[in-house]
Amino acid sequence: MTEDKHMKKTTLSIGGMTCAACVGHVEKALKDTRGVKGTVVNLATGKASVEYDPAETSLSTIKKAVDEIGYEVILNTANLQVTGMTCASCVDHVQKAVSELPGVYRVVANLASSSARVEYEPQITSIGEIIKTIREVGYEAVERSEGAEALDREKEARDRDIKRQRNNLIISGTLGVLVMLGMFQPYWFPDLLPVWLNDNMKVVLFILTTPIVFGPGRQFFVNSWNGLKRGLTDMNLLYATGIGAAYGIAVINTFWPEAGFGGKDVTFYEAAAMLTAFIILGRYLEAITRGRTSQAIRRLMKLQPKRAKVLRDGQETDIPAEEVQIGDILLVRPGEAIPVDGRVTDGYSSVDQSMITGESIPVEKKTGDDVIGGTINKTGAFKFQATRVGKDTALAQIIKLVEDAQTTKAPIQKLADKVAGHFILGVHMVALIVFLFWFFAGYGLWFVPESRLILTPYTLTGLGVFGFALLTSVTVLVISCPCAVGLATPSAIMAGSGKAAEYGILFKGADAMEGTARLQAIIFDKTGTLTKGEPSVTDVITAGELAENEVLRLAAVAEKNSEHPLGEAIVSGARERGLELADAAGFNAIPGQGVEVQLDGRTILLGNRKLMADRNVSLDKLVGEAERLEHEGKTAMFVAVGGKPAGIVAVADTLKETSARAVEELHRMGIQVAMITGDNRRTAEAIARQVGIDRVLAEVLPEDKANEVKKLQAEGLRVAMVGDGINDAPALAQADVGIAIGSGTDVAKETGHVILVKDDLMDVVAALQVGRQTLRLIKQNLFWAFGYNTVTIPIGAGLLYPFVAQMVSPELAALLMATSSLSVTLNTLRMRGYVPPIRRKDIDFGEGHIHTVARVPQTSA
Amino acid sequence: MKVSRVGFISALIYTGLSIVLAGAFFVATLLGNYNWLTRLGGAGWVFLLSMIILMPVVTPLIKKRVQSR
Repeated sequence: MTEDKHMKKTTLSIGGMTCAACVGHVEKALKDTRGVKGTVVNLATGKASVEYDPAETSLSTIKKAVDEIGYEVILNTANLQVTGMTCASCVDHVQKAVSELPGVYRVVANLASSSARVEYEPQITSIGEIIKTIREVGYEAVERSEGAEALDREKEARDRDIKRQRNNLIISGTLGVLVMLGMFQPYWFPDLLPVWLNDNMKVVLFILTTPIVFGPGRQFFVNSWNGLKRGLTDMNLLYATGIGAAYGIAVINTFWPEAGFGGKDVTFYEAAAMLTAFIILGRYLEAITRGRTSQAIRRLMKLQPKRAKVLRDGQETDIPAEEVQIGDILLVRPGEAIPVDGRVTDGYSSVDQSMITGESIPVEKKTGDDVIGGTINKTGAFKFQATRVGKDTALAQIIKLVEDAQTTKAPIQKLADKVAGHFILGVHMVALIVFLFWFFAGYGLWFVPESRLILTPYTLTGLGVFGFALLTSVTVLVISCPCAVGLATPSAIMAGSGKAAEYGILFKGADAMEGTARLQAIIFDKTGTLTKGEPSVTDVITAGELAENEVLRLAAVAEKNSEHPLGEAIVSGARERGLELADAAGFNAIPGQGVEVQLDGRTILLGNRKLMADRNVSLDKLVGEAERLEHEGKTAMFVAVGGKPAGIVAVADTLKETSARAVEELHRMGIQVAMITGDNRRTAEAIARQVGIDRVLAEVLPEDKANEVKKLQAEGLRVAMVGDGINDAPALAQADVGIAIGSGTDVAKETGHVILVKDDLMDVVAALQVGRQTLRLIKQNLFWAFGYNTVTIPIGAGLLYPFVAQMVSPELAALLMATSSLSVTLNTLRMRGYVPPIRRKDIDFGEGHIHTVARVPQTSA
Repeated sequence: MKVSRVGFISALIYTGLSIVLAGAFFVATLLGNYNWLTRLGGAGWVFLLSMIILMPVVTPLIKKRVQSR
């Protein structure tokens, strides 16, 4: 893929999108904007990923394009305290300087209050850059607030929406119930009301319904008109036509009963009122629940500390975390959050990193260790030097990665998108066909005056041919639910990627998530992935005269000054056992054979068979043991003291603790597991045996790893490659899913479609489990969404009427529609409580072992 | 300039087609036993739905043609 260096990519929060058609509109508006090269809009996250050429367009133009079609680009607002402005031209300077920044949409500086209010997109321009710009033109600027509103801008926008819909619901619900009671009063309690009220009941209903239609219901008319002006249709149009038709007929039959639309007894006030109330109820509940599907990312966002204690000129200064500069020395006390990424310069403590890496146990930090911004200092106070700040911190990178993933689309969504894109148009066409059918044929064939609306005592006696055909037509419009189709996939992707992030599993896109769920084979790189990547002492065998520790001590003494990796492993193995290593004399490295040293007048040899043979050391007793060790993939080194064999020290790259369990679990999940390595076949097979892998790709040069992946793909398998994100980059790129393991916190640099923050193979299993659960949710959601529309639209169209003489009322249709989209969201919300089976506590993995695994990191929402 | 031209041509076409469809409906009702208001109401509903269906179809088509010139 070629990449244009001039292009910029940003993610914008879009307000006002309610269904899949809205997504299409926003995407279209953005794509039609000059300078925008690509865009992906996600309904569930309410975000648009926009790739644009800053030379051709600006944030203002992009925002205008979105705002013009009735939606809103939600921007951050910063209130700055600007000091030093003394006249109107100062105000002008500040405004001009700030407004020229690429991510600033609007700036208003106020001389009287010494303030500036800036609307900006933080992904393009940070608040720090804005403040810096103001300072560069000669004024002092600081943020007025604590930055809380910046962090919660999305929550605020959603809360506003929830509040608006709640108020609408209270009005439409209360009046709607009154209208309903008034409408059915003659059937339910005929003698309750005085005669004068009964006689004028239709007028009363008109008075009660009108505020509903033009108050809470106004949004549907306004939004659909905004869309229609530009040739766009959306859900609002379905509602507007439904509500408008029901209300229009009711008004005509109330004031002009002889007009021929069914007479005074046929009014649809309750339909217009309850239709509006139910649609708003659906939107209200959806606004509440949809916000919850994105809580995982919000939890990450909330981790971002707002303040930092910086040591400047020996003084401790409390400043906003955004103003910390690289190189600043910061102080962190017990219980405080670490504000930015850095390296410990003084002090000792343990730090809870579970919120970033998923590790359950606090990690010890001493001078020289790296610390991650957003993690919590537990025990001691320490100082550290900031190494990464602002959008470069690990937490910011993770948030961006998860957000980016949530704005991508899974391949499974293509069908849903295609359907949703033409849904509204299709439903209106069906509504027209249904109207024509019932007008010209159906009414004459099957209409029964005594027929009823389902679940009501309300007969259709007074309905003429036009009223009946219109009723069915309106019901079709209202009962259809493209929202469910549009929400099915993105809401699940959002919940799944957020859940995965809680475990330090970062999916780079929805396609990676779906790809992971569909994997059939996984290739593990050996060194550093299945194994620790560092050789260590695995066995010490004595020839009989010396104790094991003495054999190891002598071997370590011989290797004490060696720089060979195997020698270093022996030395560190001896030190781990607490052995004192004396200084030997006469160090002699014999190339390709081993080493020779003198200690206390004795000659110590450490090396292979050839060295021992050359020095006439008889190995009879040890050869068998050496062969066994070599068969296990270990390097056996003989130790001889004073010309006599003393023992063997075996060194090998050892398996990680969780490798075998992870492979076992993958096998259980039906995944083929292979190992790829440059090692010789014997060593490779020995490791594979230990870990339970039956397919070994040995003696593969690093540059040929991608070809091996291709070979497996040629067998028709969907293959993942798990390896080091940097060394195995070509193979990771070739695989259907490249999983970069143990990337630590520098996630932005990683190749691969899935990034595992921790160096734990269990996370590969967890990634598959989260991916599969997400795909399962998507399929359930799609089944429900398509199933609902397939079943209800024909029923709404009157398919069952000839057999049961009952029709679905528009208000019941609205209730069904609201339930449908809500059910999809509620199904997705099940992901909140999901814990990948491999990460559940106390799971029996089938061999009688009870493993206690990492707890689920939870932070307060 | 182009935008208003697209809008104008599109409006002419989809409104014209909707009128034709509503007219066809009205003529069809003349063959049956319907009262005038039913005929007019039905034609109005057909016109409204036709407009809603044709607007998003016709506008992009015209836009494409105008832009390709």
